[in-house]
Amino acid sequence: MASLVQPASSLMVVGLSHHTTPVELREQLAFNDGALDASLPRLVDTETIREGAILSTCNRVEVVAHTPNLDAANEKIRAFLAEEQRVALPRFAPYLYTHINQEAVSHLFRVASSLDSLVVGEPQILGQVKDAYNASSALGTLGTVLHRCFHKSFSVAKRVRTETSIAAKAVSVSSAAVDLACTIFDHLEDKTAMVIGVGEMGEQAVRHLRGRGIGTIMVTNRTFRRAVELARTCNGTVVPFDQLDKHLHLTDVVIGSAGSPHYVLHSGMVEEALEERKRSPMFLIDLGVPRNFDPRLNNLDNVFLYDIDDLEQVVEDHKGERQVEAVKAEAIVAEEVESFWRWFVNQEVTPTIVALREQAELIRSREVEKTLASLADLSPQTKESIEALTRSLTNKLLHPPLAYLKQRHRNSVKREDADAHEAASPHVIRQIFGLDTNEE
Amino acid sequence: MEVWLLTLTLLLYLLSTASFVVGLLSARPVVRTIAPSCLLAACLCHAGAIAVRSLTVGYFAVTEVHEALSFFACLTAGIGLLVQWRLPVSILGAIVSPIGFILTLGVYVFYTQARALPPTLQSAWLPIHVTAAFLGYAVFVVACSASLVYLIQEKHLKQKKASSFLRRLPSLETLDHLNYLSLAWGFLLLTLGLLSGAVWAEYAWGHFWIWEPRLILSVLTWVLYALLLHYRSAGWRGRRAATLTIVCFAVLVVSFVGVQFFPGRHGGQFG
Repeated sequence: MASLVQPASSLMVVGLSHHTTPVELREQLAFNDGALDASLPRLVDTETIREGAILSTCNRVEVVAHTPNLDAANEKIRAFLAEEQRVALPRFAPYLYTHINQEAVSHLFRVASSLDSLVVGEPQILGQVKDAYNASSALGTLGTVLHRCFHKSFSVAKRVRTETSIAAKAVSVSSAAVDLACTIFDHLEDKTAMVIGVGEMGEQAVRHLRGRGIGTIMVTNRTFRRAVELARTCNGTVVPFDQLDKHLHLTDVVIGSAGSPHYVLHSGMVEEALEERKRSPMFLIDLGVPRNFDPRLNNLDNVFLYDIDDLEQVVEDHKGERQVEAVKAEAIVAEEVESFWRWFVNQEVTPTIVALREQAELIRSREVEKTLASLADLSPQTKESIEALTRSLTNKLLHPPLAYLKQRHRNSVKREDADAHEAASPHVIRQIFGLDTNEE
Repeated sequence: MEVWLLTLTLLLYLLSTASFVVGLLSARPVVRTIAPSCLLAACLCHAGAIAVRSLTVGYFAVTEVHEALSFFACLTAGIGLLVQWRLPVSILGAIVSPIGFILTLGVYVFYTQARALPPTLQSAWLPIHVTAAFLGYAVFVVACSASLVYLIQEKHLKQKKASSFLRRLPSLETLDHLNYLSLAWGFLLLTLGLLSGAVWAEYAWGHFWIWEPRLILSVLTWVLYALLLHYRSAGWRGRRAATLTIVCFAVLVVSFVGVQFFPGRHGGQFG
């Protein structure tokens, strides 16, 4: 990491996430909305941290910073976290990771694209990154570099979402079931689901169905009271257990999560329901162990039965596909990191080159003026020669540093030539030539 | 000019086929927006070729074998495009584009120079009859395609082999809806085709019906589709409806193509 480019300023990410850190600690370090507004301005100053943003979700707490001094910034961020959240540094320091420059950019892009998420491809994280950006932006803690970096991360996330199908793959059993429902039904808004039993899996499936906008949810359970409880949380209606068969023809999706030793649904009941609903397709999701639905139901026309094993198989298949998509996504991230980095290094080098040229020209013209004023009776040709001489002198003197800067810029973009990274940065060049102090 | 347009059409069908297939296989949405444009271009170009031919020969060019093929291909592609525009069934483009390509190739094989239209066909009923019937056939191609895809999707769902490719296919509900919709429209158009044919026959031959294989099979097809539609409304959905749609379409193809080998008074050369 340290051998990478060392421009005058650097980008860094310091933080911890679900990968390394137990949830209790993440909770303590997380910034809630109000706290962020108060804390963030204390992070940023002109010397160590020029620009800063904080991304705080239930899975990660990360500080993104643009700094001229990496070590000082690193220390400051650690102290900042400890102080603001009142957690002793030694408690969380072992969990912290630090990404610098390209790695920092890459990290931010991967996070925004949901490649670093607990559930890879989950869509919420982009919204959270955007919120973090908006909050910091409103507090005025962002400058050109981080503004651009965040915006870039949004477009990278968008590319990853549209060019790979990483977000389209279900990962949990219940979301796989809901995905399957979408290959059977065109849209879920006008569909009805019934949950039999109040098992945890069933509850999850209901939540997913709600998330996809299912029209109506019915809940039934042997113990009526518990059905009422679940119905309340998912905004559903309760059906008495003994009237299950009377309501079956109304339902397009039936979820079984009852702890029952016998089949709750069997062919006769479903046949009747099918007859009544004019053979509209029914999707039966059996999440129960032992199974709730008679497996032979799958042989009925327009009935699709998936039990927990089938769904787990689907999830397994998706995981394989996910790997392939993840490789594509990483390639997109790498490409975008390079393009961002080119811009970042360039925006540092260009002003230095311009300043160097301007300063040389300023000195040259001033000295020429002085000399010409003290020498009288010079022919226009001689004056012209003096001008040319001085111009060529400054050009020749400036050539090595300028060439050096440009070369260095090229190398740093390509991440080649480790020596170049160790060498002087535009910052050093500025100091050598007194570009920042020369105020006459 | 006509041949030049046809060649361009052929290329565009090929391009459209390729882009639809790539669009189905890859996750890149870019391709999915290009493909319909290719198909639209192919359709327009094809319609242009038919228009040029019609202007050259001086009548609605659908009587020669290659003219009929060309017209039918253009209608099929057009209907496919229309459906795809209204419903989320991009797979349809991947089916009608190659059909358009193959039929247009057939146009080259059967290509003949223009000749005078036989007197029996010189009638205002010609475009009405042929357009209604061919439009009906084209809609039935859509019905049959939707049914095929339905069967594939259904089989995979039943066997629990969900892959990402299948998730890019339309949902069973959409396919079943499309099956019903296209059966209803196809049947209406087929009925119009038969009726206009009968009226025309009454004018041309003096009687609206003659006993010959072409007509008998046409009416048989009509009856089959009527039955299918009836049972569909009564609740035959999904796999059963899809299978029967394919059977009906097979009969339609036989009645349309096979009958060309029987002698008969119907049509000039074809149709």
